[in-house]
Amino acid sequence: MPLFLLPHNALDACLQRLRSVAELHGPRRDTDGLCRLAPLPEGVRPDLTTLRTLLPAKKYLLPPVETTLTFRPGEGYRLPRLPDTPLILLGLHPCDLAAIAYLDRQFLAAPPDPTYAARRAAITLVGTGCSPDGYCSCLTHPSPLPTPCDLFLHPVEEGFLVTAESDRGKELCRSLAGLLQADRRCPPPSARDRFAPPLPPPSTEELDLSLPDWRELADHCLGCGACSIACPTCACFELLEYATLDAAGAERRRRWDSCLFKGHAMVAGGESFQQERWQRFRYRYQHKYRGFGPLQGLPSCVGCGRCRVQCPSGLDLRPLAERLERREA
Amino acid sequence: MSSGSPPCPATLLSIRPLSGDTSLFTLQVPEGAQVGGEQPWQFEPGQFLQLSVPGAGEAPISYCGVPTPDRRVELCIRRVGRVTTALHHALPGDQLAVRGPFGRGFPLRHYLGRDILLVAGGLGMAPLRALLHTLLAERQRFGRLTLLYGAKAPDALLFRHELTDLAGRKDLLLRLAVDRAVACPAAIPSCREALLPELLDGLALTPGRTFVPVCGPPSLYRALIPPLLARGVTPDRIHLSLERRMQCGQGRCGHCAVGSLLCCTEGPVFAYSTLLGIEGAL
Ligand SMILES: Cc1cc2nc3c(=O)[nH]c(=O)nc-3n(C[C@H](O)[C@H](O)[C@H](O)COP(=O)(O)OP(=O)(O)OC[C@H]3O[C@@H](n4cnc5c(N)ncnc54)[C@H](O)[C@@H]3O)c2cc1C
Ligand code: SF4
Ligand code: SF4
Ligand code: FES
Repeated sequence: MPLFLLPHNALDACLQRLRSVAELHGPRRDTDGLCRLAPLPEGVRPDLTTLRTLLPAKKYLLPPVETTLTFRPGEGYRLPRLPDTPLILLGLHPCDLAAIAYLDRQFLAAPPDPTYAARRAAITLVGTGCSPDGYCSCLTHPSPLPTPCDLFLHPVEEGFLVTAESDRGKELCRSLAGLLQADRRCPPPSARDRFAPPLPPPSTEELDLSLPDWRELADHCLGCGACSIACPTCACFELLEYATLDAAGAERRRRWDSCLFKGHAMVAGGESFQQERWQRFRYRYQHKYRGFGPLQGLPSCVGCGRCRVQCPSGLDLRPLAERLERREA
Repeated sequence: MSSGSPPCPATLLSIRPLSGDTSLFTLQVPEGAQVGGEQPWQFEPGQFLQLSVPGAGEAPISYCGVPTPDRRVELCIRRVGRVTTALHHALPGDQLAVRGPFGRGFPLRHYLGRDILLVAGGLGMAPLRALLHTLLAERQRFGRLTLLYGAKAPDALLFRHELTDLAGRKDLLLRLAVDRAVACPAAIPSCREALLPELLDGLALTPGRTFVPVCGPPSLYRALIPPLLARGVTPDRIHLSLERRMQCGQGRCGHCAVGSLLCCTEGPVFAYSTLLGIEGAL
């Protein structure tokens, strides 16, 4: 794989070239001190040292609210105009990329979700290396998922070592000619190798209900859903239908939901199969560490640490997972 | 699975009231219509479709009839909320939309040559009517057929006119139960004031050759399974149709999990043996 050096002093020019190809978004530190994935217009520099953005890249692939169908009398239900604005997302870490691989499995499996597929196709992914902190669990509990991207920037002292990881990445490298210098160094570990070798998958046996920990932990959970909003692989949604103002047409939207909300598993008549908070809490655990449905056995937690940082009660499911996994071993 | 694509149109042909809050809706899908290569009027008993009422939304509904060449779809629907209320206000000729079929229905190929004991509670009659009509259409391919059906009161029994016909059949045993009833009206034969599981009492049942498809509220499953097991029916032969708050029907929205299974793609019909040990399944 050809390797290039992007020296620090060429970064601005490189970003400018990228802006000419597509709208450029990446981690931006705002005046409130928070770092978000946001547009990077000319003159705004990305914060490539930050470890985690407030919200993950899922907000680009599955916006918090989006129209999935429109209805007009005589026409019936139709897909809306599919999003096709080319976008470059800069500064995604290996865990962010693994999370996209997870969403891809969920939303691109046949039959692909039309809006997700359109957004995904329009996005170019530029990864960057990082150094995990105490909230990350990528090194201790590596995700088995791949880390799909187009370009990857490995931070080194003089700048970034750049590898093209796809055809689109190679094309981008060509458009950056003059800014990138060929480099003879031994290529750095690939993005995927930022993760340690995956552990054997956890057992998919049903979870031990007798453990008191579920209730203990869930007693501290406020049910606010912040953890699922922040999680790059939490993708539960609800479908809502709105009549248009003339009452003749309608729009169907999907909106982020959380399995920690009480209404999530409620059926007609108000009966719920996850009535108690600890049951909902365990449901989240099940999804994050065991997976379900077609992705059963594939943990969806990529270890980004957002849930641990965001939880107002300081809750962390990871130690519980370790206790359960030790018990099974 | 037919879900990436928008629902296809369906015209409401007729609405026939069945009880205070439940009606039989007959829809027709136009010729040539399809949803991502699937034909929503081709289905197996126990499968469901997603019915859209424009402006109100979408709800999962069991097929309650059998496929017909003129693409008619029968749905038995109770008014409970936004979509179902809008539907009860709809008029023949109105434009609705459907996508499907979804899920795994009753495993018919295992039923060939076997005795089938169908148990329906309340609205659970909807998918079991689809199953019953399928079995009756090829009656000679199955063993003894029994239908146990219970409702809160005589006037909540759905398809009463059909029950009268069924009661007269020699090749089917029908037993009905109503609770809270003053008396079972003479117009409905085979009826007792009892709890549905009590209809098992004195019923001839050969566990080794019997399958038991069941659909009803969770309380029915909890009350019915112990006596079935006591009669020697094994958990793999008890087939339950589960209700969950399904939204997407395609294993994506995350609303319908039963343990680590997704009800919309791996159900809604599950063998009881599959559900054993899954907390909150029933
Ligand atoms: C596989 C399957 C097959 C089915 N087959 C049939 C059938 O054949 N016939 C039939 O009549 N029904 C059937 N149902 C049930 C049917 O899908 C529901 O009754 C229907 O979805 C209700 O939709 P609605 O918009 O009318 O009600 P909603 O407006 O969604 O409300 C229904 C009830 O749910 C509760 N609820 C809903 N959302 C919330 C929330 N966010 N918070 C709190 N409470 C809430 C409320 O108590 C309300 O009374 C089936 C369901 C499944 C899963
Ligand atoms: S569960 Fe927590 S650490 Fe794991 S991917 Fe989600 S937010 Fe990140
Ligand atoms: S962020 Fe914490 S308190 Fe809020 S729902 Fe998640 S675990 Fe519960
Ligand atoms: S209904 Fe959406 S996952 Fe099953």
